[in-house]
Amino acid sequence: MSALEIRNVRKNYGSVETLKGIDIALQSGEFLVLLGSSGCGKSTLLNIIAGLAEATSGDVLIGGRSILGVHPKNRDIAMVFQSYALYPNLTVRRNIGFGLEMRGVAADDREKAVNEAARLLQIEALLDRKPSQLSGGQRQRVAIGRALVRKPQVFLFDEPLSNLDAKLRLEMRTELKRLHQMLQTTVVYVTHDQIEAMTLATRIAVMRDGIIEQLGTPEEIYNEPATLYVAGFVGAPSMNMLQSTVEGGTLAIDGSPARLPLPARFSKAIGNGARVVVGIRPEALRVAAGAAEPSLPVEIEVVELTGPELVATARVGTQRLTACLPPAARVSKGQASIFAFGEDAMRLFDPDTGKAF
Amino acid sequence: MSGTWMTTRAWLLMLPLLVVMVAVIGWPLVDTVNLSFTDAKLVGTGGNYVGFDNYTNMLSSSNFSRTLITTTLFAVISVAAEMVIGVLAALLLNQQFHGRAVLRALMILPWALPTVVNATLWRLIYNPEYGALNAALTQLHLIDAYRSWLGEPGTALAALIVADCWKNFPLVALIALAALQAVPRDITAASLVDGAGAFNRFRFVILPYLAGPLMVALVLRTIEAFKVFDIIWVMTRGGPANSTRTLSILVYQEAFSFQRAGSGASLALIVTLLVTVLAVAYAALVRKTAGSAA
Ligand SMILES: Nc1ncnc2c1ncn2[C@@H]1O[C@H](COP(=O)(O)OP(=O)(O)O)[C@@H](O)[C@H]1O
Ligand SMILES: [Mg+2]
Repeated sequence: MSALEIRNVRKNYGSVETLKGIDIALQSGEFLVLLGSSGCGKSTLLNIIAGLAEATSGDVLIGGRSILGVHPKNRDIAMVFQSYALYPNLTVRRNIGFGLEMRGVAADDREKAVNEAARLLQIEALLDRKPSQLSGGQRQRVAIGRALVRKPQVFLFDEPLSNLDAKLRLEMRTELKRLHQMLQTTVVYVTHDQIEAMTLATRIAVMRDGIIEQLGTPEEIYNEPATLYVAGFVGAPSMNMLQSTVEGGTLAIDGSPARLPLPARFSKAIGNGARVVVGIRPEALRVAAGAAEPSLPVEIEVVELTGPELVATARVGTQRLTACLPPAARVSKGQASIFAFGEDAMRLFDPDTGKAF
Repeated sequence: MSGTWMTTRAWLLMLPLLVVMVAVIGWPLVDTVNLSFTDAKLVGTGGNYVGFDNYTNMLSSSNFSRTLITTTLFAVISVAAEMVIGVLAALLLNQQFHGRAVLRALMILPWALPTVVNATLWRLIYNPEYGALNAALTQLHLIDAYRSWLGEPGTALAALIVADCWKNFPLVALIALAALQAVPRDITAASLVDGAGAFNRFRFVILPYLAGPLMVALVLRTIEAFKVFDIIWVMTRGGPANSTRTLSILVYQEAFSFQRAGSGASLALIVTLLVTVLAVAYAALVRKTAGSAA
């Protein structure tokens, strides 16, 4: 039985279809990240799970029980918002204990639960302050504490780190991961940040315009993107996409004399003359001395040292290519070079459907 | 110093306004203060200097203390009722339902009407021979015979308070409605997930955002209610048996009906002082509320 199951959920606002049939089933203890750009329907889906919005059709089940029409307070979920959403004139202590207070939990038990959560989040010293006296990071800790004390079946997070500065975001990300490893509660986490998704998730659902483009483990999403959209969205710098045409068992790169071998695993699916987008991660590229197979002759345009790596932008004929190389790599602006890569690193996409072959 | 010519220019720019202010507010005020120390009649010249006699006479008269009580009753009850009704109306109009926009516009109407129109309308409603209130109450068998709501000392003040509430609750509702827009959706959502019922949601989610603006409404309305004149003048002229006489009505009677300009002036200044004290106290309260809500 799944901890959380979403069955063919649709949502219309007037005539606008915001969600176009979402299906997800989560095992207990999974950390699902809903990843997608702004406006793709992530919050709408989360709100439907929480009971703050109603699905137009479809079903949502928690622990095998349909929760359609059940009040949010009775869904056994807790939610953390991007804006923290703390009660402005209650102390941190009462903010954290508010859900328990509203449920009539005795003051002693409440106090114990609040102290426990505060200890986990290292905010014991803040318990008697008001939210206005806290920094952004501290507020978000309180908001997480308020969710923790409820011990719900499912935690819902809506971009909880988006209002924090970069350093704090990193800290809190690790903190959330630690909490999840410790508590092993099922989590649905919304973000538009692919690094957050990659680091936190046990599974990622990449969303676009109200549909799930791909649902898979971070490794699957990164190594085997199902669509051009997913390939481009996940990874930084993003995957190189070379336009090409199949000619006699090879891939002829548009605007260049370069050719790549068509890997044997694709030769059945792709016929002669087919248009193909070749996807190669920048990290898969290395500088080769000779013409090792497969490889591409390039002309280096820009070289940027980021510290741990050297990011080189190069040209293959008329198309551009980015490579993440070791800092010591011998490349310089204007130089001709050869980028080689393993055959397994090649992902091939149909430019018409956007789907991977 | 660069500040000097800026300061000079600022004063120059304000000068016309200052002149007008002195002419229409400053001068009459000084004149009223002068007048309050004389026994001048409304017509005729001068009057003799009588020191603080007007003030001591006025403050020790039973007329004054009775009027002060009437005014306070009127102000406290009508403002309290307006606040409660106004907030409830705002909460209602903040819900989503068909016809909300129309209802919101309609609600402003009592407040937008001139007070005289309002007062006349309520006089009709309270009319002892053909008033709607009498008709409604008899048909509901709540009273046996038509009554003169504005003609009996026992009911006149209450009847006035109802009319004043009807006129002024929309202002409170409007201010509250605007404040409700500022309540963050996420906090409302969080309180739903946390299981807060309607009352707790009002207390912990809505009230923090409502308190500041409501304080402003309270200040505005209390000061206005304390100075009330027009609605009472049109409906009862302070009667019957002075049961609805407020301070402003008393000032009018003193100065114009009894033609005691000096005594009227002293009373007017007492009222001014009372209202100023109220305003200052409230202003401090508003600052405190605004500070704690931030
Ligand atoms: N209450 C609403 N009424 C109408 N349209 C809405 C409402 N809420 C969200 N939408 C629309 O639905 C789409 C998805 O919104 P949302 O789920 O908030 O996106 P995300 O969280 O992925 O950024 C957006 O185009 C938004 O304009
Ligand atoms: Mg969102």
